[in-house]
Formats: sequence, structure tokens, C-alpha cells
Amino acid sequence: MTFQTDIDAPLLDVRALRTEFGTDSGTVTAVDGVSFAVHAGERVAIVGESGSGKSAMAMSILRLLAYPGRVTGGAVLLNGRDLSALSERQLSAVRGRLVGTVFQDPMSSLDPVMRISKQMIPPIMRALGLSREVARAEAILWLDKVGIPDAEKRLDAFPFEMSGGMRQRVMIAMALSCRPRLLIADEPTTALDVTIQAQIVEVMKKLTAETGTAMMFITHDLGLVARFADKVAVMYAGRIVEFGPVREIFRTPSHPYTQSLLSTIPSAKALRHQRLAQIPGMPPDMKTPPQGCAFRERCAAAIPRCAQQPPELSPRGAGHVAACWQPEGLTGIVRPECEARVRPGSNRALRDRTMVEINRLTKHFSSPRLLSRKPVPVVKAVNGVTLRVQQGETLGIVGESGCGKSTVARLLLGLEKPTSGEIFTDGLAQMVFQDPSASFNPKMRISAIIEEPLVVKRWGDRAARAARVRHLIAQVGLEEAHLNRYPSQLSGGQRQRVAVARALALDPSVMVADEPTSALDVSVRAQIINLLVDLKEDLGIAFVFISHDLLTVRYIADRIAVMYLGEVVEYGPADEVFDRPAHPYTKALIETVPLPDPVTEATRAPKLLQGELPSPLNLPKGCAFASRCPIVTDRCRAEKPVLRHPMKTREAACHYPHAI
Amino acid sequence: MIDYSLKKFVQLLITVLGVVTLVFFTLRFIPGDAASAMAGDAISGEALELLREQMGLNTPLIAQYFSYLRGLVTFDFGVTITTQLPVSDLILRAVPVTLSIAVLTILLTVTLAIPLGTLAALMAHRGQSGLDNAITGTAMVLDLMPSFWTALVFLLIFSLTLGWFPASGSVSFDNPMEYLKRIALPVLVLSVTQVATMARITRTAVLEVLSEDYVRTARAMGWSEMRVLFRHALKNAALPIVTVIGLSFGNLLNGTVIVEFIFTLPGIGNLLINGINSRDYQMVQTLIVFYALLFVIINFATDIVYRALDPRVRF
Repeated sequence: MTFQTDIDAPLLDVRALRTEFGTDSGTVTAVDGVSFAVHAGERVAIVGESGSGKSAMAMSILRLLAYPGRVTGGAVLLNGRDLSALSERQLSAVRGRLVGTVFQDPMSSLDPVMRISKQMIPPIMRALGLSREVARAEAILWLDKVGIPDAEKRLDAFPFEMSGGMRQRVMIAMALSCRPRLLIADEPTTALDVTIQAQIVEVMKKLTAETGTAMMFITHDLGLVARFADKVAVMYAGRIVEFGPVREIFRTPSHPYTQSLLSTIPSAKALRHQRLAQIPGMPPDMKTPPQGCAFRERCAAAIPRCAQQPPELSPRGAGHVAACWQPEGLTGIVRPECEARVRPGSNRALRDRTMVEINRLTKHFSSPRLLSRKPVPVVKAVNGVTLRVQQGETLGIVGESGCGKSTVARLLLGLEKPTSGEIFTDGLAQMVFQDPSASFNPKMRISAIIEEPLVVKRWGDRAARAARVRHLIAQVGLEEAHLNRYPSQLSGGQRQRVAVARALALDPSVMVADEPTSALDVSVRAQIINLLVDLKEDLGIAFVFISHDLLTVRYIADRIAVMYLGEVVEYGPADEVFDRPAHPYTKALIETVPLPDPVTEATRAPKLLQGELPSPLNLPKGCAFASRCPIVTDRCRAEKPVLRHPMKTREAACHYPHAI
Repeated sequence: MIDYSLKKFVQLLITVLGVVTLVFFTLRFIPGDAASAMAGDAISGEALELLREQMGLNTPLIAQYFSYLRGLVTFDFGVTITTQLPVSDLILRAVPVTLSIAVLTILLTVTLAIPLGTLAALMAHRGQSGLDNAITGTAMVLDLMPSFWTALVFLLIFSLTLGWFPASGSVSFDNPMEYLKRIALPVLVLSVTQVATMARITRTAVLEVLSEDYVRTARAMGWSEMRVLFRHALKNAALPIVTVIGLSFGNLLNGTVIVEFIFTLPGIGNLLINGINSRDYQMVQTLIVFYALLFVIINFATDIVYRALDPRVRF
């Protein structure tokens, strides 16, 4: 380090930062007077839902906003120097050298037509004043540090030759190799799988600690915050509503928004049969910033004063500030929206009927090519899966992307033909997809979208269908007024409700939901989960819930099937699988999930899964998990374990189910 | 890369064979034949039969096809029906004229359109829409003007009124300056549309790339706007632009037929028009094959350049 700063002076001091986006229909105030500080070596998490202005704020610091975004006020002091007063040229000297950046989507953040070396070496040469050869050695060193195997060779690879996780490692190496004092990471793990996400977080944590780099970490995942951050800033509607040390924020959140947010996520310890708390309503439209407190319309503790005067940040404890007129937020006034209504236990009487039966299902994809004598590559997406779903039961399927969970869903619905094996469904199966905005025809009104399956099946006459549509829209908690709108006029949560209504239209006996909450914000996610749980209880539908979000699956599912490379490796009651996993993969998956509790996180030293999912193109002879398994033996590599019953209620495909 | 080129080359040969076959059979199946065209109204009956015999038109079609193929491979395209001159000589003499017009047009287009389009994109990206609208608007208007019309207007203004360029006259390569002056107007006429199209494509391509995440990454690494523009944005935007340059070469060949006719230039376009007018089968057939070959070669070159620019292309 060439300079030493005063220990108390912050590295980054953001003061009343204001950012606007000028659009045709008005000016959107994305960042509305944000002030906070990051000290050297500190990790600060910026938490907020989409549209809260957290990314815009981070990009404003280095003026990396794209038109029509514009920083319109405030100061950004880095080591006491105001970045907002610098010219574009002067700022270029700060970008990359003093402040490094890692972005959300690793698939698009590297130049696709340039080798990694070309993108990595020149910045190092420039930032550290090294010769090409030394910079190259430095680049290899950093690639090695972030965990890229065979770094020397991979340096000359093109981005498309790497997986998403590897590319994100490259991004981190690229940012850190210039020895910045501050690293801004904008949702760096959101686009990645749970196991890869945990690896990336560990790498960033370790390397920033090693180099003393401070970090600003933007995320919507409260679990990650608990695992990662020293301090937390909670953003809502372009403002910081609460800021403080991570343990304080999680133990005694004092802004109603933070309090609600923390109670909406299914926690590891919470009772499964307790309803999730949900925040009513939606964030305000930032084109017309509300008078007074922006959260007041969704806040149970709102008082008349909230409508007149926006609360400023005021102290709540040591280094802990919150912007609320109520000193204790919701806790002083009412219990949070969590009406502790205990979910009625599932009706066991219904469970005798098997609604879905899948026997030794396989699905192999191959694309034979003309004019090629090479053997045709076969992707073994599903490899002998056997599952049952009883009436009124929810089966959760979890696994990393590429494990075949979505293919099972598509097979179940008959969207693909199985290569072999059998599927029986009692009655009709319907599907809810991940991305509600992509699964609707944007030119159709909501009423037509919900009615469509009825029309296809020639159900009733026009009047009967209209009545049915009205019944359905009420059933998913929307109003009849929504029927006349187009999908683009609804919010993500509302669209997902419509997707559920459409799936319900034909009275299905089985509903398959493929990552139904992944595209949704935390506060809306709880609404949809509650809706699905209610429907299951009320209608006695069998559910298949596919997700990579283990906490949600644990919350919603009665039984869980853990999939790995097209096979079910463990299958059993949800609580048992979570509390006493019998397969090392299940155990590893559970361990990688960051829990929204900084105290627990601090005591956990998760044994992370190393490496990535092997290619389903050439599966190993023995156990598919052998390459990543911590307790692997020679027997595993030679002999494939089959699903057995190591415990009475559970199946697991492992030679040593009692070893973990 | 060599593998790829070889594969593309085999595809090229197959395409050319397809074209040759199609042209041969299409021309044989339309009413009338070369002999009656040659004979005109003067000869009939037995004399015509004799002519057919001489020209080999009475042998089975498939035998004619193979003898035609043999001719093509040995560069023997026969003689023209009207003047009895070797077709290959005529074409070889005409090709330099057409090619020089086409190549100059492409060069002029690229040097004008890419900077203009990039400038417009840069302005649009920064939200300074004034200059962008001016460039895009002008390009749109120019793009809509048909080349035969621009040709006449240019002729009127630059040749007949201002007298800067000759409107017609002999063409020889002995005096390069004179030659350039002679083809300057045709090149300008063709360039108008080409520049307009290409500038608009460039603008779209660059504008799209400028909002890509990797451009933001480059900015975040502290590179200057210029470096970001040249090293990242233009390199990626070049991919669609190269495709369009390849495609516009085809348009250009269309255009040369028109300007050669208007400016009375002895290129292959004029050769084609004369051939059609005099029902010169041998000539027309060979020219169609020649044009097809040009198209296919340009596509081949585009594919190769594209592959060199984008490492992701793999088939």
C-alpha cells in the first residue's frame, strides 16, 4: 500500500446521492438522497427488492449509468476526493484501479470475441505499471486464486468456452487483479446455481479479506447478507431506510420494511405449518414519489405523520440508524402481518390415492448430424427416475441446474416423450412456469389468457366460461378489474397469480410448478407461496414443486426428491431429508444454503461442494456424484449405487448412507 | 479454421453445381431453342434441322448437359450465337469494368457508412438525438431513391450541367485517371443507396453493442471511451456489418447492370442486357452461371471473415 489513511476516515463516503432517469412519461427518481460510508476492508451489503434503486446507486458511484440515467446531486468521496466532480478522463483512472466492479450476469459481462488474456492483462499492465510478461503471470496467479483449474491454459480461452460460474470467477479475478481499494459487486451470484454461488461467495470473502479490499455487495438475498456482510443498508424506493451492523439488523430490525422482509423468508428453524408473513401491496411508482414515507401504504404501523413528512435516518443503537417515525417500527405497535394462523395439517385421509406414478423414467436427447461420422453425443437428462405423488401432497424436486428436474416436469406434462419408462397421472396435470411474463401472449387480455384452456377443451358456453374465469381470478386473490388488463400492466406477482389461475382452469388433479417464485421479489414470493399452500389445502391438488431454493422447498413440500445428473439420489419426507440427510449430495446442498441469520452463519464453516456438475454427455461408470463427493471410495467409482431404504421412510442412492 | 474453410468450400462447389444444373434445364425447357433463335425467321424446315444437328441440339438432353459441364470445367463456354466470338473472351474483357465499379463502391461505402453509423449510434447512446436523427433521416431518404433515378439526376447535374465527369465515351485502362473519371459517376450513384443502407445497419449494430454488459465491464475497468468503442464495441458490431456487406454485394451487382446501361459502360451488365435482347443463349447461360459464382464466392468469403471475427462460430 502506498498510502495510509486515517483509521476513522471512511474509504467511501456517499453523501445525499441522487440519480434520475428521464423517460418520456416523466422523471424517475431512482436514487433519492442516499448517504452512507464504507470503511477500508469493510463488507457492506446493500439489500433491496428490484426497483429499490440499489443497482442504480452502485452504478452512480462510478458514473457507469447508461442513458437516460443521470447523477443529479450529491457527492461521492473516495479517500476524501469527490468523484462526482471529476472529469470523465480523471474518473477513468479511478475505475478499475481504485474501484473494481463485478456485475450480475457473467454470461454477458465478458467480451465474447476476445480471449480472457486480452481482457485481463492490459488492465493489470495499466493499473500496476507492469510489463506484459509480468502482468500475464499476475493474471494467471489471480485466476488460480479464484479457483480456475489449469489457469495458465484457461487464460487464453474465450469466454464462451467457460461455464457461468467460471466466468464469474474470471470477472472477480479481473477486478481484484488491479488491486482496487473497493470492490463493487452487483448481485454477483444471482445468476448462478446454489453450489456455485456458495463457492463464489467464499472466494470473494477470502480474497477481499486477504487484500484488505472493502466491498459493496448488492443483493436481494438476505441469507447471503447474513453470511457475508459486516454492515447492511436496506434500500426502499430509492432511499436507505435502515443501516447498521449485520447482527443488529437481523436481531433488532427497527424499520417496518426490514422487519417485514425478514419475516417473509422461510427460515430453517421456523415451523413448517406456520403461514409466511407477507407484505401487502407493491412498491410505489418512482415517477411520482409519494409525499411522506414511501413505505407507509404497506406499513401496519403508519401514523398520520408518515403521510406528511418523510422520516430521516435517526439513531437506533450503536452505528444503527433507521428512517421511521415509530422508534421500534412494527414491534411497538402490532405484530407483523404474520397472523400466526397455523396451517391446518394436511388432510391425511386424502393421501391414499396416488395421483402421479413415475416408473424408471429416462429421457435422452441426441442430435444426429448429417455428414459426420463421429458418434452422436447423447445427453442423458433423466436416467431412471421413479417417483410417487399422493393426492393433496406436495413433492419438492431440488437440484442444481442441469440435474434434469425441469425435464421431469416436461415429461410429466407430456411436453416431451420419454425415452423409456412409464408415467401415470390420475386426472389432468397443469403447469405454472418460472417466468410469468414470458409464458403469456402479451397481446391477450388476462381474461382471454385464463379462458384459453377452457376454450381449447370446449368447456361450457361463453357465459359459463366467463363465470368460471371470474371465479378463478377471485380464487387467486386478484380482482375482476384485472381481467381487462394486459400482462404488461400487471406486476410480476400478479402475473404469477394469473398463471396459477390459468393452471387451475380445468380443475387439474396435479399441478407442476417449475421455479414459480424464482423470478419474483422476496416480499411477493411469500404471497405466491401462501397462495399455493392455500390452494393445495383447499382443493386437495397434488403438487410438484421444482426449485433450487431449498428453504422454500422445505417450507412447501411434504416430500423431497433430490436430483443429481438425471437421477434421484435421495427421496423422503421433507423434514427428515433436511434434518438428517442420508446422501452426501443432499448434505452438501443444505450446507451451501446461506441462512438468514448472521449468528448461525458465523459459526458455520460450510464444507462446500468442489467443482461443477459433470457433463451429462459422458456419465461416469460408478456413482455420478463420485467426482465431487467428500466421502468417495474406490467402490463408488466402480459400482453404481441404487436407491435403497437406509431408513424406513427414506430412499438414498449411496453406498455409505450412514457415514455422514 | 482450415477445416471450416474446407467444409465451406465443399458447400460452395455443391451450390455452384446446383445453379449450373438449374440454369441449364430451365433454359432448355422454355419454348424455342438456340437454333431457332440463331436462324431467326430466315431459315426453316430442313435447314433448321441441320443447324440443330450442328449445334448438338438433337442429342439427348442428358448428354448435352454433360458436354456442357465438360465445357464449363475446361473454361470453354462456346461462342456467341450472334457474333460467333468466344463467350469467355467477351466476359473476360467485361469483368474488370464491373468489378472495379463494384469494389470501388464497396470501399467508398465502408469508409463513409461505418464512421457515420457509429457516430449516429454514439449520439443516440448518449441521448443526443439531434445528429443521430439527421444522419438516420437522411439515410432513410437516400435509401428510398431508386438507382436508375439517381443515375439520371447525377448525369444531369454532374455531367451535363457542371461538366465534371464524362457522361459517355470510350473506356480503356491505359489511362487510370481517365478511367476513374469515367466510372466515378456510376460509383457515386451506386454508393448513395449503399452508404444509406450500411450506415443504418451500422448504427443499429453499434447501438446494440454499446448497451451490452461487456461494454459496461470495459468502462468499469477504466478504459477510455475511444478504446471501449474501438476494441469492444466495433469489434462486436463488425459481425452483423460483415454479413450485410456480403449481402449488399448482391444488390450491387444488380445495380451495376443498371448503371452500366445508363452510362454505356462495357461491363458484364451490358453484356447480359445485349445477350437477352439478341436471345443469345450461350451468352446468357454463361453469364447467369458467372453471376451465381460471384454470389457464392462472396458468401464464402463472408463466412470465412465471420469465422475469423467470431470464435463462437463452429459449424
